[in-house]
Amino acid sequence: MAEAKDKMNNEENLQKPDVNYWRSFAELHKDSALIEASRQEFSESVTDDFDPAKLSKFSRRKFLALIGASAALAGTACSDYRDKGEIVPYTKMPEDTVVGKPKYYASTFNYGSQSHGILIKTREGRPVKVDGNPDHPVNKGKTNAIVQASLLSLYDPDRLQYPMKKTDGGEFTKSSWKNVDKEIVNALKSTSEKNIAIVTGSILSPTTKRVLDEFKAKYPGTKVYSYELFNDEIRNSAWKKCYGTDLYPLIKWNEAKIIVALESDFLGTDGNKVENSRLFAEGRDVDNVKNFNRLYVVEGNMSLTGTNADYRLKLRPDAQYIFVMNLLSEVSRRTGIGVPFNLSSFSLDTFAKTYSLNTKKLKHLVDDLLNNKGKSIVYAGRTLPEEVHIAVNYLNEILGNKNLYRTDSATVSNLPLSSKSDIENLVSDMNLGKVGLLIHFDSDPVFKFPEDIGYADALKKVSTVVSLTESANDSSAAGNYTLPISHTFESWGDAKSRTGFYSLQQPVIAPIYDTREKEAVLLNWIDEAKGEFKDTLYHEYLMKNWQENIYPSLKSKFAFIEFWYGALHDGVVFVNESSNTFGSFNNSAFNGLSNTSTNLSGYAVILSEHYSIGDGKFANNGWLQELPHPVSKMTWDNYASISKNTSKELGVKNNDKILVTIGKRSLEIPVFIQPGCADNTIAIETGYGRTVVGRVGEETGFNANILLSKDSEWLFTNSSVKKGDGTYQLVSAQEHHLFDRTPNENLLGERKIIREGTVKEYLENSHFVSEMHEEEKVDQIYPDHPAWYTGVKWGMAIDLNKCTGCSDCVIACIAENNNPVVGKDQVAVGREMQWLRVDAYYSGSEDDPIVSKQVMLCQHCDNAPCENVCPVAATTHSKDGLNQMVYNRCVGTRYCSNNCPYKVRRFNFFNFRDHFRDSFQQEGIFDLVYNPEVTVRSRGVMEKCTFCIQRIATERENAIRENREVIGSNVHTACQDACGTNAIHFGDINNKNAEFYKYRNHELGYYVLEELNVKPNVTYLAKLRNTDSEKV
Amino acid sequence: MADNKLYCVSALFDTPDKIINAARKTTEAGYKKFDVNTPYPVHGMDRAMGMGQSKIGYVTLFFGLSGAVFIFLFMWWTFASSYNIVVGGKPFLSAPAFIPITFETTVLFAAISTFVGMIAVFFKLPHNSHPLHDTDYMKAVSGDKFGLVIEADDEQFNRDRVTDFLKNLGAYKVADVYIPEKETYKLFSSGFVIFLIILAVVTSAATYITLNKLMYVVPFSWMEVQDKLNAQEESDIFADGKGMRLPVEGTVARGELPYPFYGQPNPPEVLSNPTLPTKKVLELGKRKFLTFCSPCHGNFAQGESRLHGQFPTGPTLVSSKINNYPDGMIYHIITNGQNVMPSYMHQINREERWAIVDYVRVLQRAQNPSQSDIQEVKKESSSNVAK
Amino acid sequence: MSVDYSKEIPLVQGRLTMAQLDDAIAKPMSVRPGKIYFIALAFTSGLLLLGVLGVSLTFYFGIGEWGNNQPVAWGWGITNFVFWVGIAHAGTLISAILYLLRQKWRTGISRFAEAMTIFAVMCAGIFPIIHTGRPWLAGYLLPYPNSHHLWPNFISPLVWDVFAVSTYLIVSAIFWYVGLIPDFATLRDRTVSKVKNFVYSFFSLGWRHSNRHWRHYEKVYMILAGLATPLVLSVHTVVSFDFAVAVLPGWHSTIFPPYFVAGAIFSGFAMVVTALVFMRKVLGLENVITIDHLDRMNKIILLTGSMVGYAYLMEFFISWYSGVPTEQYVAVNRAFGEYAWGYWIMVACNALFPQLFWSRKIRRSIPVMFLVVVLVNVGMWFERFIIIASSLHRDFLPSSWGYFTPTWVDFSILLGSFGLFFTLILVFSRTLPVVTMSEIKGVVEGAHPTHHKGDHNG
Repeated sequence: MAEAKDKMNNEENLQKPDVNYWRSFAELHKDSALIEASRQEFSESVTDDFDPAKLSKFSRRKFLALIGASAALAGTACSDYRDKGEIVPYTKMPEDTVVGKPKYYASTFNYGSQSHGILIKTREGRPVKVDGNPDHPVNKGKTNAIVQASLLSLYDPDRLQYPMKKTDGGEFTKSSWKNVDKEIVNALKSTSEKNIAIVTGSILSPTTKRVLDEFKAKYPGTKVYSYELFNDEIRNSAWKKCYGTDLYPLIKWNEAKIIVALESDFLGTDGNKVENSRLFAEGRDVDNVKNFNRLYVVEGNMSLTGTNADYRLKLRPDAQYIFVMNLLSEVSRRTGIGVPFNLSSFSLDTFAKTYSLNTKKLKHLVDDLLNNKGKSIVYAGRTLPEEVHIAVNYLNEILGNKNLYRTDSATVSNLPLSSKSDIENLVSDMNLGKVGLLIHFDSDPVFKFPEDIGYADALKKVSTVVSLTESANDSSAAGNYTLPISHTFESWGDAKSRTGFYSLQQPVIAPIYDTREKEAVLLNWIDEAKGEFKDTLYHEYLMKNWQENIYPSLKSKFAFIEFWYGALHDGVVFVNESSNTFGSFNNSAFNGLSNTSTNLSGYAVILSEHYSIGDGKFANNGWLQELPHPVSKMTWDNYASISKNTSKELGVKNNDKILVTIGKRSLEIPVFIQPGCADNTIAIETGYGRTVVGRVGEETGFNANILLSKDSEWLFTNSSVKKGDGTYQLVSAQEHHLFDRTPNENLLGERKIIREGTVKEYLENSHFVSEMHEEEKVDQIYPDHPAWYTGVKWGMAIDLNKCTGCSDCVIACIAENNNPVVGKDQVAVGREMQWLRVDAYYSGSEDDPIVSKQVMLCQHCDNAPCENVCPVAATTHSKDGLNQMVYNRCVGTRYCSNNCPYKVRRFNFFNFRDHFRDSFQQEGIFDLVYNPEVTVRSRGVMEKCTFCIQRIATERENAIRENREVIGSNVHTACQDACGTNAIHFGDINNKNAEFYKYRNHELGYYVLEELNVKPNVTYLAKLRNTDSEKV
Repeated sequence: MADNKLYCVSALFDTPDKIINAARKTTEAGYKKFDVNTPYPVHGMDRAMGMGQSKIGYVTLFFGLSGAVFIFLFMWWTFASSYNIVVGGKPFLSAPAFIPITFETTVLFAAISTFVGMIAVFFKLPHNSHPLHDTDYMKAVSGDKFGLVIEADDEQFNRDRVTDFLKNLGAYKVADVYIPEKETYKLFSSGFVIFLIILAVVTSAATYITLNKLMYVVPFSWMEVQDKLNAQEESDIFADGKGMRLPVEGTVARGELPYPFYGQPNPPEVLSNPTLPTKKVLELGKRKFLTFCSPCHGNFAQGESRLHGQFPTGPTLVSSKINNYPDGMIYHIITNGQNVMPSYMHQINREERWAIVDYVRVLQRAQNPSQSDIQEVKKESSSNVAK
Repeated sequence: MSVDYSKEIPLVQGRLTMAQLDDAIAKPMSVRPGKIYFIALAFTSGLLLLGVLGVSLTFYFGIGEWGNNQPVAWGWGITNFVFWVGIAHAGTLISAILYLLRQKWRTGISRFAEAMTIFAVMCAGIFPIIHTGRPWLAGYLLPYPNSHHLWPNFISPLVWDVFAVSTYLIVSAIFWYVGLIPDFATLRDRTVSKVKNFVYSFFSLGWRHSNRHWRHYEKVYMILAGLATPLVLSVHTVVSFDFAVAVLPGWHSTIFPPYFVAGAIFSGFAMVVTALVFMRKVLGLENVITIDHLDRMNKIILLTGSMVGYAYLMEFFISWYSGVPTEQYVAVNRAFGEYAWGYWIMVACNALFPQLFWSRKIRRSIPVMFLVVVLVNVGMWFERFIIIASSLHRDFLPSSWGYFTPTWVDFSILLGSFGLFFTLILVFSRTLPVVTMSEIKGVVEGAHPTHHKGDHNG
């Protein structure tokens, strides 16, 4: 903190007023008499004769004095002198700042192999919200849950606040940058004969790459190893074998008519979710129903993509290869296209029988592929083995789907990831003592490297292990130097993840703690001669690098400084680069592929990245921990999802532990019986179970990384699984009642909560939804409210065709509206505080269900039942159709919640900020997380979605200032901004010309529980499944 | 006791038959001021004493109805008149919902009024100093005996005759009852005054502590102080104790490209004026000019400082030198400052700066107008006169 | 028309004289209570303290201390409230309605029943306040003038509750006190101790048993009875509106008002019997509170119990008849869903066991009747719990279904309320006459002139 302190002092100096203020020239010229006079309020002889002692007994003065005294007494008795704090203005206002008005900064957020262009909202120089950068060609103004929640990581009290050094006792103690720099630089020099290893994640920033190169140049013998827990290596290598070029291309999801996803969660964790789902949703436009795409998903576990499938086939992941081969043989049989490979042993029908696949669906699949040549795409998941990808590539080749590969843009990698063998060499070097110094460059190999590589043990043989990280992790704990690095929002940087553009990263707040950019740390070691460290070191380096290496190539017509400011302003810089082309398929790729269709037995175990907390980097982020899993709605833990049959076979129920053993590695983990999971398939999401993590992440989940092995990737065939001992309570934010003993069937159908149809149905009769609610017209006792809602009236429309159920909107809502994290115990008793939830309902058969998603939030009913019953009128209706919640008036009878048919109201049963992890959320730094425009609710108060009333208020202010009417389309709710597929529309119901009007009154539109006649202001557009009309 | 005034002669009987008979006889004998005391209401006694029905029912009726009217009007006023709030889409005066409360209040008013009326008006109670109290007579009638008293101030009262009369009625005990003399208390004894003072102090102290201290300890929460940083708040998180941070040097916020020539006394090139000299812009410019520029440059930019030389006087802005400056140069000087003049970029935002530039142009033109200008002005003014 | 049961069987047995009655009734107040009494008091006040602990925890940390959650936002708090309000109905019913019906046998028990009413309302009144999230703001429910021009929402049943329950408390207190005035006078004239004399005189307001007062007194008593009768019916009707007015399936039903009133009288009488069985023994009032009284009360329990049972059946019929899927689901779910256990406890205790009272023998056998009435109390508590929990835990959207599990704090507060109730009863039994002296004397044989002239307004 020391450093930070004198940093602050510097700022103070900056903020010193440049003139000292004076009221008169006498004062200015220090006229002592005047100043003296100004000290005493009354000048001489005014108050001479006032002396209460000398007063006559009943003098007027005394009388007044008495009155005054008594008044004062009364005053003290009833008035309140509590200190409300001081008002601290800017001493020198930054240019164009209006206190209380937000500023927006374009920046970049790099995580794993993805780079997100973001737009950060700041208030008084503090980031308060993150959204996508609209100018960024990949993000187009959208982000995902992790990026949204990174705001919380910035203000995480568990972040490292100063450099630390391990003492001989094995304890980490506070140190200073000065010392650690000196010591490490010496260590670097002294290890000249030995190797220096830098272990990093994937490097997306060219400038960072350059820093590493310079480091190598300065300290020869430096090797850089980069590793990602999940990556596209298999897909790429397969591609290389097939087409010779390095990287698998991007897909034109928006142009595909038929999408076949094989064990690929491309709408979730496989690839760039933001872009994929946006492009995918373009094929789900209700105004263009004829061109709806059709999504086939063939997968083991129910994935987010699987829930959106039109046709879903469940198949154990290790059977995918045989499946594709069968597909291939079927296709070649029907098209007569020869395949340079012997497919004689493959037959789709027998395959369908062995794995009990729905033949009807299969037939559709093959037909569609053949009927939509060139307009379909088969996409294999990144966790599948290479041969599957090769076969898939060929399938796409002969179906002529190559033109769905994007040529305009492609992924680039600044630094190829190290192969497993490289890492094994590193470890052996370490064991042989060849590595003198090892730097964890914002990476956590101890947690992520496969167990049997033995990295953790080898680390003990390295004399100096330096970890550059935001917060302590397993690797830093194993090392002897832990150096805190700045959060993305505190650092400069850039990124090049795609061809066609660069994106820039700028800090939006000075480092809160005594931290440095990780590049700056290295730079400081490179030119240690320069001595004193400058905060602007990396900033200057970045600019220099751009000026020298990137700017010239751009042929910009602006001077560099103007160009640079422009680039920072936009956050992206476009360059024209050669579009990539693909050669023809290289048949030799087939060499070595097995051509026998073996029947698989035993259990298949497949690992995948966790939806919210990613590869474990965000395990200490409460928002992400509490975000219900998009499929299972599970919070705070990972689990093994298995099918009902498998659970019977193993004799386990939910929450029972199973013992998964692969070779010598075994893991005990509770199970969740996931409807739609393939039999004999154990699907586990990794990222949980870090041993060294902050207060939030501790004791959550199970470390599935220990199943990883050096000689296989994420898919393990015939591993042994048996019932473990004991149970572990998993907590789901939404119980799945469909499969428990509900007295009556087809609940949803009867209640018309979810209304769905097929494209066919719609094309035949476009009114089929509205017809449903004709029969529900209810007459009411009271007339509609007279002379109300004449002006703007707010409403929302949610397009269930576009909604993938990814739950990013939930995080956006939390970040905008200051909702607390309640903790696992409270979620267990159903007290989660998220205003917005994504309901998931299963229908159809238990082992092959159809999933329906529904974003549920306050419907702002015109006839709101909650309002009638509130005894103190704490929730009432506004003139613009909002169902308002008056926190200060709320007594907390919770009657409104009882009477809310949608159960969207949330009650502060505790002061959760105090209750969760012994008042973790009440640490001072948390004040910065909260949106200043939104009340931080106290305990005992009811709350709910407000349609982001603070944003509506802002628009109203603007309207008044610009002296115009309020315009509905100017207001965007937080969820709407976050929704990657634009499924959420918000606006003025009464404005006939607005685009919103179209959705509000769409013929597919319906209200949930319409028969109650509560008149919701949230319209749902019925989901159309692009299946043939017969029920599947 | 003997010197006391006689209140009445009392007689005790031991069966209901005797007392009812006695009561009837007494009435017939024409005594007015007499009373019967029985441990419980004896049937037929009212008739025997010649009394009619009680009138208290009217009190109940009146106050009950007034309660109903009052509460309904009250609810109408609060809900439909004083402060209209839409609740559940119902009309402001949703009468059916008011029925329960109206009913309850009716009952409440009726019951209380009846009770108070009976005690205070009809019974004139409390009356603990009545002569009959603490007499054997009262003890008896409290238990199981029945008593009858004929008061002394009945006009045909005569002690001996009444005594005989009662004996003849079969009373087993006849006795005189005297009025005890009153004790008097003096108001404002010193003790009482001290008590009042103590009371006053304690009350105000209690009020103060409750309102200003007690109500703000945990768990009481008024959401008055919230765990968030509003604009211009202090914060102990940062070393300088300020909640508001400065943007990091060199960053660019949306729509706020930094002025490229900042810090250069004479820039290689200058920006071109994005604004048009519309009325709106010029008025803005005038306002800002008078606020920020006129103190030194004078209200008409002629360099006659409003501070009258007590402070370095700003140069005139209507000199030909400045006339020949491009707009961008003037903008540059405002933004960047010059010689003594500090940078005004922190006080005046871009739009306003350009507006000032435009206004300065106006002033310059006003100083040495062209003929056409004068014509224009003349036309203007004459037309104004005409109006 | 008046049926005068006092002709058939004497209301006071053992041919007691008025003097003996007075002694019998006043005895508990004059003699020093025995060890058993203090043990009982210690026990009940122990429960009370437990409750206080639970309440203060709730007050400090919040409702989270209870089992409440989303969707079951109301749990035991409101259950206990409705339960106690129900108990409170017996008193007024006995003293008011039976009075209007000229049921002279009520005199033996009316005072005690009224006392129970008041205590029960006190217990009930606590819960709406402590179950709120911010109890210190409970004042917002009252219509007091304030600078914000904010008033309660008179459309909300909870505000109706505030009015109904407070009115009920005040009126029954008045009723009770009016009955007490003559007894205070009697006590005043009986006692020898100066202090007691002062206290009794104070409360007796200097009552002189004057017939010129009696005549208004009786009128007023009748008027109050006339007011209390519709009031008592309205109060539980209003309480039932808390549920009936909501849209929630399982709550939204027009049968609730009569159903609740019947239930209230049902539970109230059961509670009165439970207490009387002991009181008459302990205070030696077997001759005043006779077995015939209990017999009659049991008949009413039988009647109301059957009405409640009918309501249970009706709920099923209506939910089927309504044709609303959610309604049907809730009805079925109540009986066979996760709360089936509670539902069947309720049905057994409320609808089945009271049927035993068809037999005169059981009606007049102390132990069996005691068992039954205790079961009835249990059953009626469960009725309220089932209505609240089973309707809330599975309503419209299956996505937000949940389950309610009470915490130890819930238990402590429930026990605490019982502690409060019985502590008050015990104190009452030693400080005030548990039988209305002035009335009981009026129904002794030969209390009135042999030749009946004059009206019967006695």
